[in-house]
Amino acid sequence: MKGLLHEWLRRRLQTPYRSLRFKLMTFFLLVAIIPLLSLGVLSYRSSSSLTHNQFGKYGQYAVTQVQNQVDAQLNQMKITAESIYSYLLDPTKSVITEEVPRTYRQIQEKNDFEDFLKALKSDDYTRIYVITQSGYYYGDNDLYMSMLEQESWWKDFSSSHTDEYWIGMHPAIYYKEGSKNAGEDVIGLILPIRNQQGPLENARILIEMKADKIYNLFHLLERDTNAHVALRGNSNQSIYKTNDHFIPHADDVIWTSLLKTNDWTIEARLSYQQFYRSTAVIRSYTVIGLAGAMLLAMLLAYWLSSRLTGRIKHLKNLMLKAGTGQLEARFTIDSDDELGVLGRSFNNMLEQIQSLFDEVARTEKLKKEAELRAMHYQINPHLLFNTLNSIQWKARLQGNEEIRQMLYHLTVVLEGNLDLSQELVTVEQELKRIDHFLSIQRIRFGEVFDYERDIDERAIHCLIPRMSLQPLFENIFFHGFEDGAGRIVLRLKAENDYLQMILEDDGRGIDEARLRTLLQAETPKTTRGGLGLYNVDQKFKLHFGPGFGLRIESTKGKGTTITFVWPRREETEDGRAN
Amino acid sequence: MKKSVIVLTSMLLLSMLALSACGSSGSGNSGNNGGNAAAGKDNGSEQQTAGGSSQEPVTIRFATWDTGQSLQFEQEVAKQFEQKHPNIKVQVEPYGDGFDQKMSAGFGAGDPPDVMYMYNFPTYKESLEPLDSYIEKDADLNIDDFYPGLLNYDRIDGVTYGLPVGFTTRVVYYNKKLFDEAGVAYPQDGWTWDDLKQMAVKLTDKSKKQYGIGMRASVDVYGLQGTVWSNGGSYVSDDGKQIDGYMNGKETVEALETQSNAIKDGYGVLVGGKNQQSGDDIFKAGKIAMWETGLWPLQGFKDANMDFGTVVTPAFGDKPLKGVINESAISIAKDSKHKEEAWEFLKFFVSPESIKIRTADLPVRSSTAKEMNLSEDPLYKPFYTMLDRSTNIPAFLLNPKWDQIDSNLATAVEAIMLGNDAQDAMDQAVKDSEKYLNH
Repeated sequence: MKGLLHEWLRRRLQTPYRSLRFKLMTFFLLVAIIPLLSLGVLSYRSSSSLTHNQFGKYGQYAVTQVQNQVDAQLNQMKITAESIYSYLLDPTKSVITEEVPRTYRQIQEKNDFEDFLKALKSDDYTRIYVITQSGYYYGDNDLYMSMLEQESWWKDFSSSHTDEYWIGMHPAIYYKEGSKNAGEDVIGLILPIRNQQGPLENARILIEMKADKIYNLFHLLERDTNAHVALRGNSNQSIYKTNDHFIPHADDVIWTSLLKTNDWTIEARLSYQQFYRSTAVIRSYTVIGLAGAMLLAMLLAYWLSSRLTGRIKHLKNLMLKAGTGQLEARFTIDSDDELGVLGRSFNNMLEQIQSLFDEVARTEKLKKEAELRAMHYQINPHLLFNTLNSIQWKARLQGNEEIRQMLYHLTVVLEGNLDLSQELVTVEQELKRIDHFLSIQRIRFGEVFDYERDIDERAIHCLIPRMSLQPLFENIFFHGFEDGAGRIVLRLKAENDYLQMILEDDGRGIDEARLRTLLQAETPKTTRGGLGLYNVDQKFKLHFGPGFGLRIESTKGKGTTITFVWPRREETEDGRAN
Repeated sequence: MKKSVIVLTSMLLLSMLALSACGSSGSGNSGNNGGNAAAGKDNGSEQQTAGGSSQEPVTIRFATWDTGQSLQFEQEVAKQFEQKHPNIKVQVEPYGDGFDQKMSAGFGAGDPPDVMYMYNFPTYKESLEPLDSYIEKDADLNIDDFYPGLLNYDRIDGVTYGLPVGFTTRVVYYNKKLFDEAGVAYPQDGWTWDDLKQMAVKLTDKSKKQYGIGMRASVDVYGLQGTVWSNGGSYVSDDGKQIDGYMNGKETVEALETQSNAIKDGYGVLVGGKNQQSGDDIFKAGKIAMWETGLWPLQGFKDANMDFGTVVTPAFGDKPLKGVINESAISIAKDSKHKEEAWEFLKFFVSPESIKIRTADLPVRSSTAKEMNLSEDPLYKPFYTMLDRSTNIPAFLLNPKWDQIDSNLATAVEAIMLGNDAQDAMDQAVKDSEKYLNH
């Protein structure tokens, strides 16, 4: 079973290499695929490198943009804080005289200062406070100092920091509930007030801004680049990071940008795979495109080659068919191209072969008929000859020399007639047989006819169809002469290539109408004589070709001349015709 | 061979055709879009010809100071209005905290919103469209359905510049549980500041940090007006030109002293100052038994499942009780290019169906208040009672410079609440404010 399968596979795999279609297909495919492939690879490489380049630049650009915008916001906070600071430092003003106002004037001072702080607020600043050392504050009346003091960054600042202090994004849980933005995420800046005596000594300016804008910037960056975004403080603490399960790797693509305002770092990290994902997309598109183009090329090649080779195959099959003898097969000519011409020639050839075949079959049929006829005439030669010999002995015993003589000659003539082993005999043999025939006639009719012979000696050993002269002589005696009386002249000339024999008699002659139909097979054979001439004519034609045969000239009452020419062939030593 | 070439070429052509078909389908779409756009335009022009004069879609801008839930209500009203008026689009512009700033800028640039929320008529009246002729012409509005006290707040010198959309008056909320625990009867309409003091003293338990009444640290001077009026005082003369003798007048100072006395005498507590919880929260926490304010925290108290009641503010002895209204109104800009459409929107905004779905404050139409049974609901009835008694005109409507005077007044009241002498503080405020008065 396995062997069978293997065999089948082997054949399947092998045969295509021999087929023209396979070669054509391979060729077409190569022609299509090589440029396609090189084009695909080239465009993939250049586009992916371009994309990387662009994306890399874009990423850095995007991070820098975010940094600039965050910087702008932080800077605004810083400027606001500094302007409050310088307002408080102005020695010509006594802004606040009493930390916690009591009197109308003090309240007025406080209100004026709070109005000033309010005026500095743009929409983005949720809060501006000036917080004294004891925990009293100026600004919107919605801060819980006790809760603010719980914040770790506040403690951190109070214990260590002496300079501006940036607070990362954090929920403002220390705003009074119900007040604006309570609990929302804010970003803050603390600026300590120095060189100040009185109620504002060591007070702090706290500016807080809603963080949503910065979050939006980060979210946009995350969405645009698919990167993991992180914001780090200057002691590398994490202020913000994208809320995903990102595990940093050494091969991550990293874009960073340092905030100018406070040395925080914005970092966008993209995993190696993410960064090269666009390439993968380009690659898969290129591969899909290539595969599609190849499939198309394959289909086209298959279609084209099968169109071409299909017709060739058809022609080949026709030839094979014709080879097995089915000559009626014909190529259907559907175009004028080379194959069409080939097909037409093939059809012509088949037609010719077929007509030749028909011709051969016809000749064969004639031959068969002749053989059958010969069979018909054939009597068991032994019986005949034994009987004739018996009669001859009887005639000798009875002393009838004449009958004996006749029987002897008849036997010789018949021997020649019945010897079917040789179709071609020498002229000499044929002439001897004629002599015997004439002897019979002489006994029969007496010495009433002349027989004149003019034979070229060179022709003696040449070949002539057997029994070709005897029917002619017979014809003379039975139809030409009256009671065997007349004159017969036989001439045989030998040329280089041909022999010519002329047989003349002065008998009754043949009338013209009969002469015309004498040698045609279709004529009904009413008389035996006619058939004899026809047979002889056919013998020559059969042996030497249709160009040969008898030519009969006759004048009524004057006699008949029969001329025939045949190719000169001499008997070879082994008895075969040369 | 030739034939196959032809077939191949035709195949290529076919594929190109397919490609161009894709292309043309795209352009066909865009063509369709164009067609749609054109059809849209056609419709428009058809409507125009059918409707006659000005049926071209009009967009009116509507500015509001509201945010959050109230803004949602306004957007809902705008949407319903658009459905009823397919040719008018309403663009809601929530200005929020920046309302005054943006309105001033819009009016200054001659490009204000067509319709806007309004309360400060003295400041903006020059830029607002007088509505009296509209009100007279348009019977649909049914002006008599509005509480007349509310309409007073929309008029300057007898000219109506706006229509009320919602309001609240001020009442005293009281914690029934604390009253029950202290065995004190609930306050009733007709009670006085003396009654209040007696109740508050009983309700104060300093060991539990529980007080009879909460007093604001930074005072809402506007809201205090009702109290001042109830004592027969006023911040300003009726013509709006005099404050000396009014703001620092005997009745006014007395009224303010009743407030600060609550702290001084220990039955009241200051709330809402620096590092302090708001009065609403403290009342909700059950640490003050009485709390004077408007409608705003009512829903919150309900949501907190508090057992509370409302009552009109206390009177001064036999003197008639007076109230003050916080009202939102709606107006049309004088510079609006679509006043007809703006009026349609304004009318729809104050129609019973719009007012009914407004929850932030109280219905301005008596029919709606009755329909919603608010004027009989024990929690809401005092607000309408106070509305009936709000017949005085607030100071800011009498003097266009009131904003500046107001801040001095606030300073003085804050000082009084901190224990300063009331007369001194008010005198100082008058002195500081004199320069703002046009003599």
